[in-house]
Amino acid sequence: MSLSSSLRHSNSEALSLSQQSTQYLQKHTSTGTSTIPVPFISYPESTELWLMYEKLLLSCLRAGDDKAAHLCIEKLIDRFGATNERIMGLRGLYQEAVAKDDAALGRILKEYDEVLAEDPVNTPVAKRRIALLQSLSRTTDAIDALTELLESSPTDIEAWTELSDLYLSQSLFPQAIFCLEEVLLVAPSAWNIHARLGEVLYISVTSSNESADGKTLAEAMRRFCRSIELCDDYLRGYYGLKMTSDRLLSAFPDNSKAAGQILSTDNGELPMPSTATVRKLNEKATSKLAEMTRWTTARGYNYAEVVAAKELLDKSTQPKQR
Amino acid sequence: MVQTIHRDPALFYWILFPISIVMILTGVLRHYATILLQTTPKKLTLPALREQRQLLHGINLRTNYSAISSASFAARKNYLVSAYKNGDFLKDPDNRGKPAGNPMTDPAAMEGMMGMMKGNMAMMIPQTLIMGWINAFFAGFVIMKLPFPLTLRFKSMLQSGVATRDLDVRWVSSLSWYFLNLFGLQSVFIFILGNDNAASQMAQQMQQMNPSGAGGMFQPGQDPDKMFKSEAENLEVVEHEYILKGVEERVLGLV
Repeated sequence: MSLSSSLRHSNSEALSLSQQSTQYLQKHTSTGTSTIPVPFISYPESTELWLMYEKLLLSCLRAGDDKAAHLCIEKLIDRFGATNERIMGLRGLYQEAVAKDDAALGRILKEYDEVLAEDPVNTPVAKRRIALLQSLSRTTDAIDALTELLESSPTDIEAWTELSDLYLSQSLFPQAIFCLEEVLLVAPSAWNIHARLGEVLYISVTSSNESADGKTLAEAMRRFCRSIELCDDYLRGYYGLKMTSDRLLSAFPDNSKAAGQILSTDNGELPMPSTATVRKLNEKATSKLAEMTRWTTARGYNYAEVVAAKELLDKSTQPKQR
Repeated sequence: MVQTIHRDPALFYWILFPISIVMILTGVLRHYATILLQTTPKKLTLPALREQRQLLHGINLRTNYSAISSASFAARKNYLVSAYKNGDFLKDPDNRGKPAGNPMTDPAAMEGMMGMMKGNMAMMIPQTLIMGWINAFFAGFVIMKLPFPLTLRFKSMLQSGVATRDLDVRWVSSLSWYFLNLFGLQSVFIFILGNDNAASQMAQQMQQMNPSGAGGMFQPGQDPDKMFKSEAENLEVVEHEYILKGVEERVLGLV
């Protein structure tokens, strides 16, 4: 899981981190290699130091500083040995990064296969292999490998999210939704996953031929509501809420009667929301989005998301002005 | 009335300090000995891993069912319940229904016990030696006087090895100083060796209270098949409730 965590830094952060790498490496050259730790003289080595190295490695690779990355990986190998699972995963990552062409990548893939044949429980390498399959654009193979991995460890959130993305790229919406639901079973209050599930539901509605699948749309809207409930200034949540409620309003201009009928279903499905509620939600989302786009930069929202939100707002206000 | 005992000040330097120093050094030594004796935790095989994770999957489903819709929940429940009942996820399906083996014959369990033994030994041996050393050389000395008065209850704590009834509680005997060091040096070890040291015996005892942890959820001697069956029963009785029910109203009510 932690392999990808530092990939969530923004580009500029990664760059600035990697620029500090030479300094950092020089500063810590002595502590990393001391043979016997002497109390008082050398600080006891901490887990943080090595986590730092790992993060440094990842940001160096991202910034294209392969030399510094090589130093980091050497340090890690010196400390933990080349047979450590996590180190094997990181080393694979480095090799993939410096590989020149597809043939080199193929060799690395073969290496991974050998490692996995020897030790099938080596999760970091298994994950690297899947990522490599993806970057070789062998998506179906990657999906197969992922399902195999998930069969033996069905509580791995990272793998489930990855699989859902892969399914989504193949437009297999029910499967993608299933995967995201699995993620929610492990982390039920992850608002970003709730919003993501809403997005996938929404995409599945928009891409299907029948234009008005009210149930799925309502479900998507509710997912966004839940994500807002969990994190009440989540831009993506409001954005999705606005999109879905807009669509619901245009597809079902007045369904107050129908809502009353469906209300009595007792097979556990939720009734359609009434038009009044949807309208209210839409207004709330619009006002909140407007508010957010106003003082965004100070609060560290993703720039692209803010621009998208502004665009959405402009689009929805234009017809009214005319 | 203040009790005075005329004692050689050399007692102070030649007993109090040696005991403290020796205790600290043994702590440091024990820390490194434990590190050396540690065996790397044995890796789980794929079927064993699968067995554990699939059980965990069921537990997750049972605790967080409200995050998914009732249709999705029912599908997952049916799949897991039938798989649990069939024993699809068992590490060795052939052993199903047989009583769990004796933990003494299970090599994995043996290894765990050996690890515990080693830890115990690293603690017991130095303790016995130092205790013997103190008894042989320093037994029966009164080595210092505390600068504050204490109630009578502390007598057994501060004056073990000196069997006098009338002695003021403020006097500390050498054996008691040893015990005080034994239990009180934790923070010193943290200062010297860092936070997760193996020097203090208190920490060791805490560990033994809870030997599982990294070892996984299955204690030796527990039958995974039974655990799966009971989990299946737990899943079957779950009454589903959907978190998205009424979420619009909740959000609108938020402000």
